[in-house]
Amino acid sequence: MSNKNIYRPQSKFQYSSYLYIIPAFVFYILFVLFPLGDTLYTSFTEWNGISEKKWVGLQQYIDNLNNKKITSSIVHSFILIIFYSFLPIVIGLIIAGIMIRVKIYGLTFYRAILFLPQILSMIVVGVSWRWIYAPKGPLNVGLDYFGLENVSRAWLGSFDYALPAVGFIGTWVMFGFAMILFIAGVQKIPTELYDAAKVDGAGAISEFFNVTLPNLRGEIIVALIFTVTLALRNFDLIWITTGGGPGTSTMIPSMFIYKKAFQQGQVGSASSLGIILTLLIFTLVSLILISLRERK
Amino acid sequence: MKKIVVLLSSLIFFSTGINAETLRILAEAGDESTLTRAAAQFEAANPGVTIDASYLGWDDFMATIKLKLADNNPPDLAHGNQGFTVDGTLVQNGLIISLEKYADQYGWEDLFADGALAEFMWSDDGSTWGSGSLFGVSPVAEDVIVFYNKSKLDALGLSVPNSFEDFENALAVSKEAGELPIILGGADGWPIIHVWGIIDGAFVDPNHTRGWIFNPKNFEFNTPSRMDAAKKLADMAAAGYFGSDSLGIGYDDANAMFINGEGVFNLTGTWMTAQLDEGMGDNVGAFAMPTSGGSSVAGGGSFALGWHISSKASNPDLAAKFLAHLMSNDFVDDLMEVGRVPAQAPTIAPTSNLQAEVIASSNALVGANAKTFYTDWATPGMYDVVTQELQKLIGGAASAEDFISAMAAESLN
Repeated sequence: MSNKNIYRPQSKFQYSSYLYIIPAFVFYILFVLFPLGDTLYTSFTEWNGISEKKWVGLQQYIDNLNNKKITSSIVHSFILIIFYSFLPIVIGLIIAGIMIRVKIYGLTFYRAILFLPQILSMIVVGVSWRWIYAPKGPLNVGLDYFGLENVSRAWLGSFDYALPAVGFIGTWVMFGFAMILFIAGVQKIPTELYDAAKVDGAGAISEFFNVTLPNLRGEIIVALIFTVTLALRNFDLIWITTGGGPGTSTMIPSMFIYKKAFQQGQVGSASSLGIILTLLIFTLVSLILISLRERK
Repeated sequence: MKKIVVLLSSLIFFSTGINAETLRILAEAGDESTLTRAAAQFEAANPGVTIDASYLGWDDFMATIKLKLADNNPPDLAHGNQGFTVDGTLVQNGLIISLEKYADQYGWEDLFADGALAEFMWSDDGSTWGSGSLFGVSPVAEDVIVFYNKSKLDALGLSVPNSFEDFENALAVSKEAGELPIILGGADGWPIIHVWGIIDGAFVDPNHTRGWIFNPKNFEFNTPSRMDAAKKLADMAAAGYFGSDSLGIGYDDANAMFINGEGVFNLTGTWMTAQLDEGMGDNVGAFAMPTSGGSSVAGGGSFALGWHISSKASNPDLAAKFLAHLMSNDFVDDLMEVGRVPAQAPTIAPTSNLQAEVIASSNALVGANAKTFYTDWATPGMYDVVTQELQKLIGGAASAEDFISAMAAESLN
């Protein structure tokens, strides 16, 4: 219900309160709003990074969106959302669900181990997995040991398997984050709800879907926003493992931004692609918030 | 006591301060051992001059060099990179000066064959490449040649090929005997450019290739001989001459594998000489790839990264004097000793069998005027296109026709 008719005492507005936010706000303007505005302006210009900017209007937006390699890289990003967001959340929920029902000894230890990938630098993760996936790396050696020579291959050099292979690294990195978030969330669910469910004769599955899942809505939204954003702006992991290859099979938009800005001297075009990517992330996050918010 | 210290230290400060001059250099990290040696010699010969050199690894260097030279306080002397992306932009924005005056003074153009320095020549507005004024210079040659495992070649009953057809036969024999014919670190993309440069050169007139690189809009990429080269590369990949995993192996790993006895041939640059020498000793040899029919040799390659003098250099004459030291006959043997291949003929004997064969290969390429640079120089976007398309060609995800048409399209960008 709207509550705007409720009487509130008119307090005198304290302008001095603005003083408290000035330091943070100055930083925000300097390091977020100003660069964003500058990028937006640059995106309408042709600029090699050192000469005069030349105004070209929307031309670079049109060129980028008509570039088949760029649009297919956006498709790759959406495929990566499955690996970076959907799978980690599902796995995190399953683990959280199990941890409610089953008493596990040394829980803190396992939790720490499972969370470990999350705190490693992406560079370290990338280099390690490059080794794991290498033609004579542990994965292929293991497969060969079990007689699966037909399955083993140069995973990151395969046109069919490189994208899922780098995607899986993302799953490995992100599920620990989702799991910790959900375990923390589960602990704040009143135990009365579980007791009531038991009295009503709910089994483990029914308890999960009727008590645990609805009460984790907030955590799921946070996990979704965080992981979807990461999937779309991901750069370092793929740069280290495949560099976008083989061919263009693992190219993602952020890689075009880097190449255009720092390797090809097309800073204007890179900026326009950056703005497109920002808008895309903004739209997806808004959709998540709107579709999952609690309806009263 | 305190006063004496102050007096002494200020004396030292001013005595060096009067004549002291500092030459600031920004270099790509591969040149560190060369520059360290040159700087010590130059400082000894020119009292009062201090060389202040700093280095950046390849990616960082290429990402920042234009900004560093556009800065208000740029280095006096810096590397660039051949092509429109770096050198062209530097010339267009007036950030580096023409070296014509110094080339005359120190006789740099007389050191090499006519037109050999074309890769450093630009029109004064930076709009055309390959002719005009000299804007850069380098004492080091980098050639793309064929390294081979000597004991394997012997065991297979093969000798160094005299024609590209001979080479193909050697690949077939190697494969038949269960050896990996060519080791290739295709995961990194750019090593395939070197393989392509060699095979392209075995079929295509090097003048046409160089003309295309300098002016890709006006030289047809899609020629019948180039189609032959593309088909040849596709056939070689399909025959398994690069193995089945080449796109999953990085360049460094591939070279490590070659050193450890995997692969009969390794098609790469002379910059690997010192490392292969150390790892394989007398078991590694080198030759320049013979062309189809065997009448000439083929290979990519160019000078190493060029040196440029900043237009804001406080003392360009001093910077040129240092360059003259790098380019001098006296320094050629030093280049040999730090494991680089000098662009001028050395006077000392090669330190190893491999170094002798590498220099012979390099001379053969220079003598035949066969060096065709690197395909990715042609346009700013060419590096991405050629690496991606070559990966597709090697991986069987695209045909020779697809490759040629993608390259021809990028040529017009």
